[in-house]
Amino acid sequence: MTDQTTPEIELSEAQASEFWTGKRKQRFWRSIQAILIVLAAFVMLVPIIWIFLASFKSHVEVYQLRLFFTPTLENYGTVFEEPYNLGAKLYNSTIVAFVTVAFAIPIATMAAYSFSRFRLKFETTILVVILATQFVPAVVIILPFFIMFRDLGLLDTRIGLIMVNLAIVMPFAIWMIKGFIDGIPMDTEEAAMVDGSSRLQVIKNIVLPMAAPGLVTASIFCFILAWNEFLFALFLTNRDAVTLPIGLALFRGEEGDLWNLLSAAGIIIMAPMFVLALAIRKYFVQGMTMGAVR
Amino acid sequence: MSHIPPMPTMRDRTLKYLLVLPAVLVVFATAVWPLIESLRFSFYQGRTDRGDFPQNWLGFENYTWAFLYEPPFWNSVYVTGLYTVVTVVLTTAFALGLAMLLAPGGKLRSGVQTLLILPFAMSPALIGVSFRFMFNPEFGLFDAFFGVVFPPLADVSWLANPDLAFAVIVMADVWGWIPFLTLVLIGGLASVPQDTIEAAQVDGASGWRVFKDVTLPQLLPVLAVVIILKAIFSLKTFDQVFMLTNGGPGTATQTLSHYIYITSTRYGQVGYAASVAWLMVIPMMVLTYFYAKFVFKKDDGA
Repeated sequence: MTDQTTPEIELSEAQASEFWTGKRKQRFWRSIQAILIVLAAFVMLVPIIWIFLASFKSHVEVYQLRLFFTPTLENYGTVFEEPYNLGAKLYNSTIVAFVTVAFAIPIATMAAYSFSRFRLKFETTILVVILATQFVPAVVIILPFFIMFRDLGLLDTRIGLIMVNLAIVMPFAIWMIKGFIDGIPMDTEEAAMVDGSSRLQVIKNIVLPMAAPGLVTASIFCFILAWNEFLFALFLTNRDAVTLPIGLALFRGEEGDLWNLLSAAGIIIMAPMFVLALAIRKYFVQGMTMGAVR
Repeated sequence: MSHIPPMPTMRDRTLKYLLVLPAVLVVFATAVWPLIESLRFSFYQGRTDRGDFPQNWLGFENYTWAFLYEPPFWNSVYVTGLYTVVTVVLTTAFALGLAMLLAPGGKLRSGVQTLLILPFAMSPALIGVSFRFMFNPEFGLFDAFFGVVFPPLADVSWLANPDLAFAVIVMADVWGWIPFLTLVLIGGLASVPQDTIEAAQVDGASGWRVFKDVTLPQLLPVLAVVIILKAIFSLKTFDQVFMLTNGGPGTATQTLSHYIYITSTRYGQVGYAASVAWLMVIPMMVLTYFYAKFVFKKDDGA
């Protein structure tokens, strides 16, 4: 295919590059690329930086388009006071995300080990169903839970929220951990079993220690998902169990949005997630695509 | 399916199912059951202001109602469809460009790659909030920027104009998803054999031809995964819309998820909402089918 078209291209290339001889052309493109990269990074960061700056602005200054201002920490105090009481939301978010992960990871690890090491009946079907549940719209899942929790008195409770959050976290946890266990060679396991260890001993003494970094990564990934979860909490909570993302709505006062407070709350929500995400950045893509891309 | 052949041990026969059981139960209870229950609801009159739930059996009446008598339903189908197409195209195009720029590596490039993780760790609700901030008519940074670059936009109130509000939710989504898709595509580009590219270059092929004839065909499977994944998430979009425009002005940015939210919470029509929700599940299943095909094709090939 290329053989036929090559001569033509050579000709047109030669004509086109008459002016841009080798090095000059290369240098030109390199600087264009560098400019584009910096520009892209800038666009990516601007909204985040802007919120960061606004969180240190006073009530007056936030309503002006200014880069220079006298920074204040006041907003970070105000959001924790009445009527905003962000501390309660922070507590809810932390508990809900933490307990969700604490349930999901051990259950997912057991399943992932089995999927990775054994051949099960309907294995593909089960894995596809688990994968597919991730794509079910959250609104579909929440309707029956909304009715059920209403009847059981579980609306606006952290327990209810934890139960539905498992729906979001489990498929990712299973697929992610399965990926990690797939990557652990089996020789050590086999050797230990020849030496008389039981399967459970092998899992406990060999697989878990080796999979530990992967388990931590999966836990962090799931924690971020649960922390950022919005729709379930919006349906299920209204006062006692409100989480941080829902808490943002508090700052839409009668006189409009209180941007300085919104920004401070925003930073409180995203800063810990930035730290966590950076810690596991190499696995983020793998986690999200559940093994479709490697 | 897995890469490693299974170890034949008799005792494992029950153990392997016991290990999977809790996970299967949890997935069933938190995802499969609600899916089926929603389907059941969709055939009933299910109002939340009554004591019992659901009430009368309606058959397909909820569905017919949506199709025949509910212009807001069709509006949200239209909004969601347009939104999906536009965001998938824009995000993929920008992400591909950025991935090409960043793929070669080096200090600047890997630094920027690291930064790309940040927007993705941001809750979509927060992205919605930040874009409402950026497009505030009086002190929004993007609002001011567009006003300078394109003066006719200087005095408009973005979120009060139906078309511009739609543009803003698209921008917020594209902004939030470019980083992730870029990272996936960088991974894809890394697997394109370098010698093929070099061979083409030696043959004298221009940069564009190398991209079109060598890189792109190799990248196609990854690109397909990216597009399917993005389409699924676009179809489901709710968080940003809720925080950014709350479906407005009017219903100009009301996606299907938002429509379901409003009908079920504000109007208490859970049965009807469930029928609309199930209409949303169907395209999702089609997309998931293709996605799963890619996942398992990869697995078999390895």
